[in-house]
Amino acid sequence: MQDEQSLVHRAQQGDKEAFAQLYESHFDKIYRYVVLRIGNKTEAEDVTQRVFLNALQSIRSFKWKGIPFSAWLFRIAHNLVVDYLRKAKKVVITPLDESSVRSDSNPQLAAEQRLDIEQLTSATKRLTKAQREVISLRFAGELSVAESAKVMGKSEGAVKALQHSAIVALRKTLVRAEG
Amino acid sequence: MKKTKEFNNILNDCLERLLVKGETIEQCLQSYPDYAAEIEPLLQTAMATKKAVAIQPSPEFKARARYQFQSALREVKPKRALPFFSWQPQWAVAIAVVLVVLLAGGGTVTAAGYSMPDSPLYPVKLATEQVQLTLTPSDIGKAELYAKLADRRVAEIVYIVNKGKPKQIEQIAQRLNKHLAMIASLPLAEKGAEGELPMMAPAPPSPREGIEAPTPQQAEAPAPRQRAKEGARAVPAPANARAKLRMLLQHNEANHPAALDAALKKAPESAKPALRRAIATSAASYRKALEALD
Repeated sequence: MQDEQSLVHRAQQGDKEAFAQLYESHFDKIYRYVVLRIGNKTEAEDVTQRVFLNALQSIRSFKWKGIPFSAWLFRIAHNLVVDYLRKAKKVVITPLDESSVRSDSNPQLAAEQRLDIEQLTSATKRLTKAQREVISLRFAGELSVAESAKVMGKSEGAVKALQHSAIVALRKTLVRAEG
Repeated sequence: MKKTKEFNNILNDCLERLLVKGETIEQCLQSYPDYAAEIEPLLQTAMATKKAVAIQPSPEFKARARYQFQSALREVKPKRALPFFSWQPQWAVAIAVVLVVLLAGGGTVTAAGYSMPDSPLYPVKLATEQVQLTLTPSDIGKAELYAKLADRRVAEIVYIVNKGKPKQIEQIAQRLNKHLAMIASLPLAEKGAEGELPMMAPAPPSPREGIEAPTPQQAEAPAPRQRAKEGARAVPAPANARAKLRMLLQHNEANHPAALDAALKKAPESAKPALRRAIATSAASYRKALEALD
């Protein structure tokens, strides 16, 4: 945390190296979060790029005050996703190609993972907005409950409750899909 | 209610142990035997959900995004200890702000700054660049701006090649060739005091409190006072301007031929002649400009 705080401070002073490090350490997580929220790989790429360009423009407005930088970054991502979804009349789920699956998997495992990802992306569409947000932040963004609560502007208790209901709803959807 | 809260806490504890510490479902169930039947299926679903983590950005997208981000990053100016407006009379501040806002055209211009050739805002971006060139009187300043524009064009080519739009690739490559020709033709040899920097980087929005992150509109909106600040302070020491230009040219010389070469391999046939000309011209143009600076 201290390291990240130092990096953020340097980035705010215009240190490009520091910002590049922040970019590298958060890029994949932000991308995964956006893919799960949007369900369209091409659009997710555009939104992910905009997240970091917006962050670059606004980094000097960030004030630490005990709030993690990642929560601020995911908040930008959240705002852009909401903006995208508002504008998109119909969200199209694009099947994720082989390059989207980690290459350290064996072929059979990769096929299973691909199936799960598609099912999951589809299943999250049946959750409420808040449930989908919790699942995306916790599992794709790898944020803690405390960080997710900061992003969502909710209490940790509320996030835990949403997490519970979201997993229950996901299970029902996935089990129904298997049956 | 109390029981639900307790269950939420137990579920979360197990999730942390599974997702962060790498424990197994069995290990977690042993800690909460009374809840095992209820919690096990949820943890199985959670583990299946965890596989979503396998979604990875493609290497092509990562490379493209990194290139564009680094292009934007290079336009970030370091924070100055003594802001220009801290010592300017109020009337001068007002006039400068009005002028810059009028010239810059507001949020559209800021948003256009990051637009790509397939965006409706792209013509605004090109028009803004022309204004910036007009407002940059010195040769060193112009050369720096052309070098930045060349960098933008290369980023655009990398982007648009992946979209498979041959006509646009050719047009961008032609623009790139014009920038390169200008860089090579500008008289950059030292001849006394000169060197204004162009008005380039969009400024960040005004400070906001706490967790508030910029909305898309806020992030893309201009901060006129900051924009004026960036523009008005664009008169550095000549040595700094020359050093900065040298760094930019060295960066372009090191990166552009390789980036264009990679783009050439993917480009459709119709776009290849312009790209080949850009590859051949880029290294020579940057070298000529660097030699003139030495």
